[in-house]
Amino acid sequence: MADPYRARAPFAPWDRRTLPGLFDVEDTARRVGNYKWAEMKLFEALGGWVATVPELDVKMRLGTHCYKHAWHAELWHKRLPELREMNPDRLAVPANDAMVRFVEALTEPEAPDQTIEKLTGVYRVFIPRFIAAYTYHLNGTSEITDAPTIRSLKLILPDEFDDWRDGEMMLQSLIETPEEAARASAHQLRLESIMIEAGGIAGPGTLGSQ
Amino acid sequence: MRKFLPADQLARDERFNTITMQDRFNDPRSALGTGDAATTTAGARQKFRLTPERRDASDGARGLMHGIMVGEIQALEGAGRTCWDFDTAGVAKTSSTGAHSAGAAQNPSGDMDVPFALKLDMARQCWDEARHVEISIKLSDWMGTEIGQFAENTVLFAAACSSDPVLRLAGVNCALEGLAIDVFTTMKEFGDLAGDPFLEFCEDWMLADEVTHVKMGSDWLRKVTENDPERRKKALDFQAVVDKLFSYGGTRSDSDESPIGLARRFRALAGFTDDEVEAINDVSVQALEERRARGAAARASADPASATST
Repeated sequence: MADPYRARAPFAPWDRRTLPGLFDVEDTARRVGNYKWAEMKLFEALGGWVATVPELDVKMRLGTHCYKHAWHAELWHKRLPELREMNPDRLAVPANDAMVRFVEALTEPEAPDQTIEKLTGVYRVFIPRFIAAYTYHLNGTSEITDAPTIRSLKLILPDEFDDWRDGEMMLQSLIETPEEAARASAHQLRLESIMIEAGGIAGPGTLGSQ
Repeated sequence: MRKFLPADQLARDERFNTITMQDRFNDPRSALGTGDAATTTAGARQKFRLTPERRDASDGARGLMHGIMVGEIQALEGAGRTCWDFDTAGVAKTSSTGAHSAGAAQNPSGDMDVPFALKLDMARQCWDEARHVEISIKLSDWMGTEIGQFAENTVLFAAACSSDPVLRLAGVNCALEGLAIDVFTTMKEFGDLAGDPFLEFCEDWMLADEVTHVKMGSDWLRKVTENDPERRKKALDFQAVVDKLFSYGGTRSDSDESPIGLARRFRALAGFTDDEVEAINDVSVQALEERRARGAAARASADPASATST
């Protein structure tokens, strides 16, 4: 065995993490607050919709996904005090008014024959936006100073991908006619338009500036 | 999507049929039957616990499993609605520029905001109940039952429609999830006696979740009403009403005349005191007596001579 007292490099040769990151503490806290608000709105909507969808398989999936997004909201809630925000509710706000309108439009469908619209909003618009925002954050933040956020992102992202796949497959199995495809597209277009205005889950700059 | 969805608006596919609770209990295939089936012709007491020895055990167990399935669907829906129907305490209802956050402006619950952590628990319950629906569908299939073979009544969801979240916790988590502890324990024992390890295994897992849900409900009930004794009393009164409703005809008690036993050990784990369990037993035993009286009256009107022999 090697001499345990021999000086070793503090970072192993395969550890290529670097210090620089795109976000300072305040930026990170603001983004995390926006994430928490958005995850909250998503889990509340999924919970509310369970009773309004007649398709039994969809009903059960929405119930399952509801918890996952609640857990994400909880992870962000717990991260905020670590980012010097001792009142986590203060930053748990929508990024802007357009995000508020987006959630209003997302949660508009209620009738039992609107499952396609409900799923389109969540799985073709909202969740892809989460995946994009979280991936950008993961790739851009400091790998050393912001390791706790990275850990949360790495726990959350697989859930988002799994739920997106579940939702997309449910949609593909529900959409049986060109008219239904058009309904999904029209709703997606409407929501995407508002989301573009919002600039993403964390507002303009969610994916950096081009 | 509106806040507060009435029970008659629950979305179901074409296989489901809704009936009243009384009609469901009077379904001759039901293990919870409350008519004369529970007494001998002379009105003498007879064992009616759901065990494989009962002549109608097969249909009874299937009907009960189907009832569990639709109950789990409603419990899932109820927990989900509690996530949606109420605003979250402390969270801004407006954006930084003043726009209302979704739903806040049309919430008829007034100032009945719920703590964030309570909502997280309800979301967790959604996942648990969704799993229970999955489990009970697979168990129903295993037992040879099709979805919709038995009818559904929506009383459970109705208990989850209160405009006060604390009453929902009392009615659903404390009363109905408490009943679920009794039902799952009885079904677990049924699986054991019937030599069905698959049934016993699954019921045991669901039982673990229900103990958690009851504990969750009673903890929140105490916490939210800590400084509001009037609201707490209202909630406990509502819990008693729901307990009585689901003790109709003496459905569950320590007596072998009840199809479902009281799972005292698991109820204790969930936080029920001995006095609370005793109170539920008393309500159910009283309902049993009422059932006997109804049976005796029915027999007397059919054959006045037999009335003297009971």
